[in-house]
Amino acid sequence: MGERRGGGGCCPPMDLFRSEPMQLVQVVIPVESAHLTVSYLGDLGLLQLKDLNADKSPFQRTYAAQIKRCGEMARKLRFFKEQMSKAGVVPSIKSTTLADSNVDDLETKLGELEAELVEINANGEKLQRAYSEMVEYKLVLQKVGEFFHSAHSIATAQHREIESQHTGEESVDTPLLRDQEMATDASKQMKLGFLCGLVPREKSMAFERILFRATRGNVFLKQAEIEEPVMDPASGEKVEKNIFLVFYSGERAKNKILKICEAFGANRYPFSEDLGKQAQMITEVMGRLSELKTTIDAGLAHRGNLLQTIGDQYEQWSRLVRKEKAIYHTLNMLSLDVTKKCLVAEGWCPVFATKQIQDALQRAAFDSNAQVGAIFQVLQTKELPPTYFRTNKFTSAFQEIVDAYGVARYQEANPGVYTIVTFPFLFAVMFGDWGHGICLLLASLMFIFREKKLSGQKLGDITEMTFGGRYVILMMAIFSIYTGLIYNEFFSVPFELFGPSAYACRDLSCRDATTVGLIKVRDTYPFGVDPAWHGTRSELPFLNSLKMKMSILLGVAQMNLGIILSYFNAKFFGNCINIWFQFIPQMIFLNSLFGYLSILVIVKWCTGSQADLYHIMIYMFLSPTDDLGENQLFPGQKTVQLVLLLLALISVPWMLLPKPFLLKKQHEERHRGNSYMPLETTEHSFQLETTPDAHGDHEEFEFSEIFVHQLIHTIEFVLGAVSNTASYLRLWALSLAHSELSSVFYEKVLLLAWGFNNVIILIVGIIIFIFATVGVLLVMETLSAFLHALRLHWVEFQNKFYEGNGYKFHPFSFALASDEDDF
Amino acid sequence: MGFVVTSLIFTVIGILASLCTRVFCNSGPSTNLLLVTLVITATVCCWMMWAIVYLAQMKPLIVPILTDGE
Repeated sequence: MGERRGGGGCCPPMDLFRSEPMQLVQVVIPVESAHLTVSYLGDLGLLQLKDLNADKSPFQRTYAAQIKRCGEMARKLRFFKEQMSKAGVVPSIKSTTLADSNVDDLETKLGELEAELVEINANGEKLQRAYSEMVEYKLVLQKVGEFFHSAHSIATAQHREIESQHTGEESVDTPLLRDQEMATDASKQMKLGFLCGLVPREKSMAFERILFRATRGNVFLKQAEIEEPVMDPASGEKVEKNIFLVFYSGERAKNKILKICEAFGANRYPFSEDLGKQAQMITEVMGRLSELKTTIDAGLAHRGNLLQTIGDQYEQWSRLVRKEKAIYHTLNMLSLDVTKKCLVAEGWCPVFATKQIQDALQRAAFDSNAQVGAIFQVLQTKELPPTYFRTNKFTSAFQEIVDAYGVARYQEANPGVYTIVTFPFLFAVMFGDWGHGICLLLASLMFIFREKKLSGQKLGDITEMTFGGRYVILMMAIFSIYTGLIYNEFFSVPFELFGPSAYACRDLSCRDATTVGLIKVRDTYPFGVDPAWHGTRSELPFLNSLKMKMSILLGVAQMNLGIILSYFNAKFFGNCINIWFQFIPQMIFLNSLFGYLSILVIVKWCTGSQADLYHIMIYMFLSPTDDLGENQLFPGQKTVQLVLLLLALISVPWMLLPKPFLLKKQHEERHRGNSYMPLETTEHSFQLETTPDAHGDHEEFEFSEIFVHQLIHTIEFVLGAVSNTASYLRLWALSLAHSELSSVFYEKVLLLAWGFNNVIILIVGIIIFIFATVGVLLVMETLSAFLHALRLHWVEFQNKFYEGNGYKFHPFSFALASDEDDF
Repeated sequence: MGFVVTSLIFTVIGILASLCTRVFCNSGPSTNLLLVTLVITATVCCWMMWAIVYLAQMKPLIVPILTDGE
């Protein structure tokens, strides 16, 4: 379809209306300046490179090793980031200018820092482990010392008792018994050994049981709980532990106990019975504890400093590494020339950027002291270029809305231009309330005034979307204020802002006001809906009729705009067939039916006739020759209707039949001479094969396919004319919903609370009113109206002219790349 | 104030707004054309909405009937 005949001869060029003209360029770069060239091109951000090595795997590419290096550096930076977040250090965001630091230097530096950090971490862990062990040892010494002390005092007390008992008696055999006792005591004392240590509380019962079973009950186990949890040296977490003290006799029992202790992870500590030694041990342990504490603190401080210095430079380094990675990925896309002395790059760039790119190439060649400069050359191709719109911060949001449905085909009319105005306008038609509009305006202004600050921060998902659409919301708010003034609704309350109401009672007593109603005594209320309507019984019939007819009128207008844009497209691409056999019959069909309906609506309003428009439209089709009777709105209506009906009927085959036949004839004419020059065609076809993306002009023409395509298009248009027009009634539906919700909240919450004459109830009522308004009307209704306005644009407006099967221009740019990936 | 007069007022406002954009935000002919298009589209949309509401109230077929107790 469409040769790129840059037409536009009918109208002067308009920004944003069509894609910037793009060209396919080829750049030949000498290898020594390749890195610098790509770096400068990345700063410029106006060239989209094609991957010329698409068939190679990532490992076969030229610069795979450098990418691996960058990957290593990225890994080290990730490690630093992890350590920093664990230590609670935040990398500073101050962006110091990158003093072109060498990548090799950075690599060595990162390596050193990593080694240092790993060493500090390992040492820290060891020290921490030793510290925990010391703490445990101290606890053991204290508790076991206590136990022995108390046991000793009990024993001496008992001993003294026994002695005092024995001193009274004087018999022959008493000394013998005493000696025997002492002798047996001594021997028993020599064989009884003990072990002490700490065991985790949860395992203490099992520990006791297994000890008992393993030694057949020949041990004495004493356990005491430690109140606070203790840091376990092995796992580094706080665990609740018990101190245990095991008395055993014999070597075998000792070995069994040792093994069981190991199995349960119970740490054993040496303990001497000698009081003097105990005291010495305790002082030693205290000394060591304080030593370790200072060492650990010093270590942590050192680590903190190191992480702080890393944190200062982190952003810079990560930017540099990302940049390097991007450069090497791009370099991998270039193909290496046979001589291995230069790289060839192919890519798309906008025509206006030619000078800038050439400048960048020259600068790179100069800065890298290359002997030869880069060669820049424009290629001719039939490939479809990418679409590029130069948007600013205001228009980019609207363009994104359009692109979300489909990116415009290269150089077709961009609906984004009209969307900037019609989207907020249709939103406002559904939202119309100037009180709510003011709230939206304040919200959007809040975002816009803090633009600079917020654009640097990282926001949450929803806030990010709202911030990105701040100008859309601003436009929506401004139009909502306008439509709110027209619908005369301020939180559903009407005001007489533009003059007196046109309605008044029929007579001074106003007797008939509730039965027959008021009458129109003055001129029409000059701007908007008359305030007299609000709250009356006939408000809804009047407003419904008004809003439905308004929706139809707005819808027909927008659809006509869409068809006219298709005319401009056809004119631009020089497609006469589309003008005569698509644009004209479409206009005729839509306007002879729905344009006529719109005119009838306006005539009925202007004349105040009581004609029934449903009746007119339906019987226009069912019995067009019948007399109109009281439904006549203007003289000659019957003939006009007959003519319009005939026009509509002819336009359907006019849309359907001629175009496929004409396309076939065109195709035959274009390729009539081909069969007579076999040699040239084969050469031509070889050339087509060598250029990797040869497509577009393929000499295949399936008539049946084209015919079916045109049939579908015709049916879609004809049926769509009815359904799309009806679809615009959603403007009425949402506007009704909004005003009903608004009036319910006002009357049933605020007025009700007011009626009680109680301050507390009034405050509660106000709070409920605010929450309901914000939650339902400002958030939910906004989203709802946004969505429906979006649908009206995407479907009803764009299906009249938009193809939307292009692809977006995605240049190689560091600014864009840093937004996307996070390593 | 009459339909025609107010429509003329809308036209005048539209022309004034386009002239203002031409004066205050002058940046190249194509950008100017875009801005003028936007202003004209906005004016036409606003005028259409006003005109529809005005025309619908010129010769009404139903009149407000007050509710009881008002």
